[in-house]
Amino acid sequence: MKTAYFAFILGLSLCFCGAAQAVDLVINPDVTQEKLSRHTLRSIFSMRKTQWPDGRPIHVFVLGDKSDLHKRFTKQLLGLFPHQLRRAWNRQIYSGMGQAPIRVASEEEMQEQVANTPGAIGYLSKGHFNAYLRTISIEN
Amino acid sequence: MRIYERSVLRTNLAVCLFALLCLLTRGLPAADHAGFDSMFQVHGFLTQAYVKTTENQFFGDSEDGSFDFRELGINASYRLTPRFMVAAQILSRRAGEMYDGSVDLDYAHIDYTLQTDEDTRLGFILGRSKNTFGFYNDTRDVAATRPGIFMPQAIYWDRVRNMVLASDGAQFYGETQFDDHLFELRLITGKTPIDENVEKSYINPALNSKMDNHGITLGGRLLYEWDGGRFRMALSNATLTLDATTNLFPPGDIEIEYWVASSQYNTGPWSLTLEYMYQPIDYEGFADMMDIADTTVDGYYIQANYRLDSDWELFTRYEESHYNKDDKNGEKSSPILGVPERSFFSELWTLGVLWEPTEQLMLRAEFSQVEGTIFLSNLENENPNETERYWNLFSLLVSYSF
Repeated sequence: MKTAYFAFILGLSLCFCGAAQAVDLVINPDVTQEKLSRHTLRSIFSMRKTQWPDGRPIHVFVLGDKSDLHKRFTKQLLGLFPHQLRRAWNRQIYSGMGQAPIRVASEEEMQEQVANTPGAIGYLSKGHFNAYLRTISIEN
Repeated sequence: MRIYERSVLRTNLAVCLFALLCLLTRGLPAADHAGFDSMFQVHGFLTQAYVKTTENQFFGDSEDGSFDFRELGINASYRLTPRFMVAAQILSRRAGEMYDGSVDLDYAHIDYTLQTDEDTRLGFILGRSKNTFGFYNDTRDVAATRPGIFMPQAIYWDRVRNMVLASDGAQFYGETQFDDHLFELRLITGKTPIDENVEKSYINPALNSKMDNHGITLGGRLLYEWDGGRFRMALSNATLTLDATTNLFPPGDIEIEYWVASSQYNTGPWSLTLEYMYQPIDYEGFADMMDIADTTVDGYYIQANYRLDSDWELFTRYEESHYNKDDKNGEKSSPILGVPERSFFSELWTLGVLWEPTEQLMLRAEFSQVEGTIFLSNLENENPNETERYWNLFSLLVSYSF
């Protein structure tokens, strides 16, 4: 019984460790914005908002729907499921009202693309960013 | 479709141009390429369905099993600046006897944002644009955005699809955000292409009517979203007048007010959607011979979706449509208009399953139990006396989108 109990607690804590693995929002260093509100972040990643306050275009980078990091990102930072975000993109793509974000295959490609594309925004696992990227915080 | 014939050549040219542009972008260095990818994009979809009914014809010769439900579309968009975008889509849609699969220009427009800041956006769209109507009208032919294999017929009738599909004209939009509250208003003014499906639906097909849009259609949608879409609510309207001639009466016109109220609640894996349609129809002229057909059509559906995991989803839907909201089973209308009671209403239950094994691929299977025939097309079921009141509908769909 005791073993089962501890196994359960261990399992639970592992779950929480998994869920608590944080995500960093990263931008190209030329973006001057310091903070983003949660609803602005949603507008950007649902592709409704297309320019930074200084007028420059926003380039949005995402990983595939099935990637764990993408799932964590949509859940933790946007409060959405990947399929909900995809429907929002599809509604815009196929009505001509908007465009899709750029899909990258890996975190390495995410790092590279966000670092090399002016106006870019993306996300990485906590601590994965490098000197060519900047993290941006979300205000509540 | 006869109304689109002239646009076919133009769209073919456009496709060639898009293909050429795609090739040109291949040579650009990586960084520029990424930037360019987010400005010039090509997307499309291919959908094939199989439809089987126990009685009656729906999307082809469905009693024998029909593959005549197919949708192919390709679009391109180019965002010249963050505030200026051009976009066009061509569509081929085969839907039994209702649509023959010929290539149509689905939309082709320019979108200009007049003003934008942290929380607001104001702009306009010129050209042929899709009408935002209810939650799903503007992408109703794209399986990846539909709430099922078929649109809920209580709101989005396939037999009169073209009446509110798109407008040749202008659309104005404004959206504003206060904390977690988003308001969006779209106003549409333009000409809506009318086709044979509409003609055969609003006047008895035996009268061989011809219709055209009288002036412009006015419409719009007010949308409210809370907490990034956790709760969504919308009110949509389209007001139009159709000039009509028949082989029996003097000419007249049909005044149609099309209202839809929509709401949706999303929480965790659950999603609950309710839409209600209210449509007063007024026949004017025709030497008063059509006055008996004046009516208020209504209908609603309620749908519950449950996401099992990232790939699988289940849903169930109940729909009801009435030709006359005060005569729900057609008892009163039937003797007056001379078609069976079942032609004046539909009630149906649907159970469906969705599987999305990859981002691009979607498969659906659905089963519906139906009473009534109101949403069946007169083009597919020519004699209303030969339809059956009780019928079942089984369908499969596979769709690839990119």
